[in-house]
Amino acid sequence: MNISTIANLKFFYIKTKNISLFLSIITLILFIIGLYWGLFIAPPDYLQGNSYRIMFIHVPAAWLSLQVYIIMAVTAFIALVWRVKIMEIISIQCAPIGGLFTLIALVTGMIWGKPTWGTYWVWDARLTSELILLFLYIGVIILYSAFTDKRQAVKVTSILAIIGLINIPIIHFSVEWWNTLHQGPTVTKFEKPSAHISMLLPLLYMLFVFNMCFITILLKRIRLGIFQREKNTKWAEDYLND
Amino acid sequence: MIKTILLKELSIYIRNLNSVFLPLIFFFLIISIFPLVLGPDKVLLNKIIPGVIWITAILTTLLISNNFFKEDFNSGIIEIYLTSESSIELILFLRIISCWIFTCLPIIIFIPIVSLLFEIPFSSSIILVFTLLLGTPILISIGLFGSALTLGLSRNNILTPILIIPFYIPVLVFSASAIESVSIGLPYYSQIYILLALLMLILPTMPYLLKYTLEFSINN
Repeated sequence: MNISTIANLKFFYIKTKNISLFLSIITLILFIIGLYWGLFIAPPDYLQGNSYRIMFIHVPAAWLSLQVYIIMAVTAFIALVWRVKIMEIISIQCAPIGGLFTLIALVTGMIWGKPTWGTYWVWDARLTSELILLFLYIGVIILYSAFTDKRQAVKVTSILAIIGLINIPIIHFSVEWWNTLHQGPTVTKFEKPSAHISMLLPLLYMLFVFNMCFITILLKRIRLGIFQREKNTKWAEDYLND
Repeated sequence: MIKTILLKELSIYIRNLNSVFLPLIFFFLIISIFPLVLGPDKVLLNKIIPGVIWITAILTTLLISNNFFKEDFNSGIIEIYLTSESSIELILFLRIISCWIFTCLPIIIFIPIVSLLFEIPFSSSIILVFTLLLGTPILISIGLFGSALTLGLSRNNILTPILIIPFYIPVLVFSASAIESVSIGLPYYSQIYILLALLMLILPTMPYLLKYTLEFSINN
């Protein structure tokens, strides 16, 4: 089985039906375990008490919001250069998921900010760039939906996604550039993470679970996208009639 | 070749002087609305007016670039560009430059008068002109990119600004930071250098990007 067979839309759609169901169940179980670990087993923070536990949602969501944008831009690049149909669909379907993660990161951050900083929102560099990331996602979604000719929409949206990738470094390094209210990174310090291991482990686990969530939702959306694009072909009609 | 294109652009702008004066009038109109809304408080106005000028510059470049390619697209000139032997990158580059010269440069020339109206100190005024000189070509280039992206759409009035304002942020951040530094007496060279670097990055690459975007927008 070579790569072009997997990239074939019909083949992909039919083969992934069971995988998608399997992934959904696994992810749900992993997610419940992760929530229990983060909310009940992990020790309370000596400074922030229990309110820090929202971190187990906030940090993975914020991380994923960047990661999904990179995936979207890279697949858009592959779709533009090598004209791979499945990559076009992946790139477009990444946008709403990434937007959702960005929204989750923003909302959980606001909820956490009230007891910790005393305010829901500050115009801090990092918060602002996350908000701009949300606008970038919205731009991609709106631009795609504005075109009636979806082949053209994919091309134009891909360019926008790739060019938007220059905003990602600005977001990521903004902490160092305009070091303001938002606390610095606690996981990626190479020498010694400043979070204790009993908090770090559930956090890393939640990061893995959020990646699983992303893959599960993406797979479902890819299948939806394939069906929307191929709805007038014979195999799609046969599939519906079965 | 370069001379021919520039002369042609010049004659277009001279025959249609509205496209030179309207952005200027729009700019002054928006600037003069701010004191009406915020009250004639000198201290407050003096503090915020550099930011106001930058925001107004952004609005003006958005309006200038919004339907930049539309007329050429409808009359088929862009297709002729794309299929012609001559280098479309050069044509696009010169069009960006001439668009900036005839619409943004007049605004920048009038900045000292605006500074008089709001009593901006001379040092801030100079740095405002500098940041605008470096920043507005970037804004125009990005605006034309947005205009090329939405070329295939029939109604795109508000879509283009939504797409491109996020890309304006770095320019805005460094310009505002330079003006703020100068007003509290700190060195501002690093921000100016970053703006210069952005300009040097965007001006040569934008014609190529515009070319690809126009190609994708046209072949449907």
